[in-house]
Amino acid sequence: MTTPHVQTDTQEISHPFSSLIKMRDIWKTYQMGTEELHALKKVSFDVTKGEYVAIIGPSGSGKSTLMNLIGCLDTPTKGEYWINGEQVADMTDDELARIRNKEIGFVFQTFNLLSRATALHNVELPLIYAGISSTDRHEKAIAALESVELGDRVTHKPNELSGGQRQRVAIARALVNQPSILLADEPTGALDTTTSSEIMNLFERLHAANNTIIVVTHEMEVAERAERIIMIRDGEIESDKKTR
Amino acid sequence: MSLTSTYSLFKESLRLALRSLQSSKLRTFLTLLGIIVGVTAVIAVVTIINGLDSTVASAFSAQGSTVFSVSKQPLVITSREDFIKFNKRKDVTKRDAEAIQRLCRSCWRTGMSINGTGLVKFGENRSENVSVRGLSVSMFDIENVVLQAGRVWTEQEGKSGRNTCVIGTDIIENLFPGSSAERVIGKSIKVDGLPFVIQGVSEPFGKVLGFSRDNFVYIPFETGQRLFGARDSIVIHVQVEDSNSFETAKDESRSIMRNRRKKRAGDDDDGFSIDSQDAFIGIYQNATSGIYFATIGVAAISLVVGGIVVMNIMLVSVTERTKEIGLRKAVGARRRDILMQFLIEAVAVTMVGGALGVFTGYGLAYFLSLALGFPLLISAQSGFMGVTTSFVVGLISGIYPAFTASKLSPIDAMRSD
Ligand SMILES: Nc1ncnc2c1ncn2[C@@H]1O[C@H](COP(=O)(O)OP(=O)(O)OP(=O)(O)O)[C@@H](O)[C@H]1O
Ligand SMILES: [Mg+2]
Repeated sequence: MTTPHVQTDTQEISHPFSSLIKMRDIWKTYQMGTEELHALKKVSFDVTKGEYVAIIGPSGSGKSTLMNLIGCLDTPTKGEYWINGEQVADMTDDELARIRNKEIGFVFQTFNLLSRATALHNVELPLIYAGISSTDRHEKAIAALESVELGDRVTHKPNELSGGQRQRVAIARALVNQPSILLADEPTGALDTTTSSEIMNLFERLHAANNTIIVVTHEMEVAERAERIIMIRDGEIESDKKTR
Repeated sequence: MSLTSTYSLFKESLRLALRSLQSSKLRTFLTLLGIIVGVTAVIAVVTIINGLDSTVASAFSAQGSTVFSVSKQPLVITSREDFIKFNKRKDVTKRDAEAIQRLCRSCWRTGMSINGTGLVKFGENRSENVSVRGLSVSMFDIENVVLQAGRVWTEQEGKSGRNTCVIGTDIIENLFPGSSAERVIGKSIKVDGLPFVIQGVSEPFGKVLGFSRDNFVYIPFETGQRLFGARDSIVIHVQVEDSNSFETAKDESRSIMRNRRKKRAGDDDDGFSIDSQDAFIGIYQNATSGIYFATIGVAAISLVVGGIVVMNIMLVSVTERTKEIGLRKAVGARRRDILMQFLIEAVAVTMVGGALGVFTGYGLAYFLSLALGFPLLISAQSGFMGVTTSFVVGLISGIYPAFTASKLSPIDAMRSD
């Protein structure tokens, strides 16, 4: 790393909350037999509070890999990553779990709901691991479900819900702990066009309510609804610009 | 971590555990079989032996540990070699008994018996396998035989070898159905074909383990010798006044008898055997501790097998639920949360097995107690032990699968398909 780079970091650390996410020269390398596969190369960017960012790129470009790093589901091979001013590389397993629990709300392409649990219980799950008492949990989960207009589907199980409703349960689960960032990896990938736009409208409302959102997509229409688009190709950031 | 959150996690884990128990009842049952068998074995045997202990204790304490016997052969012979060896010994005789009575200073009462079995008849009514014993008068005191009707023969009547007898209540039942003790006095019955006049009826002794102790005819010792042959070996019974002098009395009797058998200090075999109820209790305890250890062996094997089965099923369950584990980690579950979830699941499974085992164990003990006629003594302790054991088995068999689950990385887990 060069000297001016380090100076920037020092400056940044004195204002730790100016950027919510700060990545510097992030690499993710997979060892495939004798060959090294760089899923991500020298990725650096910042996301500030309240931003709505889309990450777009062709299949296999490394979007999901990047999302998993941002969401602390995975750790980079190299590079530095601060979330809310905290250096992720220094964190223990438990601290990473706490970050995932408190700072991040993850929405997956395939929803990833517990199939045998009700919508309510699915939404309560992060609160259980946050150690919140059952009455508070119940209240918060209901409120989160109401915020995604599923107040009348509380006791439904995933197989009793439509795809769009399932994804909204997943979004309610992501929001229930009031995380710093909402991460969504192809949230509309498994949905038809109408349901997709329903979900995108919901994201817009959440953004208007001052939530920080990062969405991965490979559809330009979806990306254009964000305020900023990061394009990645072959594991590298190709462009990073505001849409408006 | 706060108490409420620990409780929440515990409840969540328990909910999951019960759900996976319900989801496949047959699989659950098969999983639990080893544990159920192990715990059942322990509970049943502990309960049964408790019942036996109390029966045996009450049967023996009636006599008190103040009586021992001197006889040609010990009460229990365990091998053919021993049988041959003991058979070669000299018979114990009336003279031996007189010697002990005369010389043993710690001995309080001495009595003689000559024992056999016989067929007893009255008219058409018969009673088989009756214990026919020729007893000296003192035996009624030594063995605490109390009469409800009639009287014991006198020394004089005994010496004259009269055909008179005292009977147990089973004899009335079999030969004089419906009759009272008073009304059978003076009746003449046939013992192995010889006529005997009933002179007394004993109070009932009751049953031990389903065996009646009232199927007997007591006749004077001298009459017994005539009946069984004067050359048969007799049994000398000695009672001490105070159980403190019990061992001294035994020692004295032993040296008197050795003297009479001209034994030297170096001779191995006394040439006679001294037995007391301690010996019975020893035999009983040997037998029951053998059963205990065998059961513990069976139980241990089934619990180990059961534990391995539970461990395998848990590993399968971890694999099946990899995605779920990944998701839980993605939303904030720590390693220890996942570890606890699977441990609780394993423990819940084995404790359900343990509880079932406790019930089937008590059930088995109940039916055996009915069949064998001993009291059912259900101890909370054995139930507690069964449940605790299954708890421990759950912990041990759950630890490896739980650890495997807790180590999964959220990303790998969620990608698995
Ligand atoms: N665990 C892994 N081991 C080896 N290579 C991997 C692993 N995970 C991802 N990769 C590789 O890293 C690259 C980026 O994968 P990633 O899933 O991030 O792509 P993506 O941009 O999300 O694609 P898509 O739009 O199809 O979801 C791919 O070439 C993929 O093969
Ligand atoms: Mg992807």
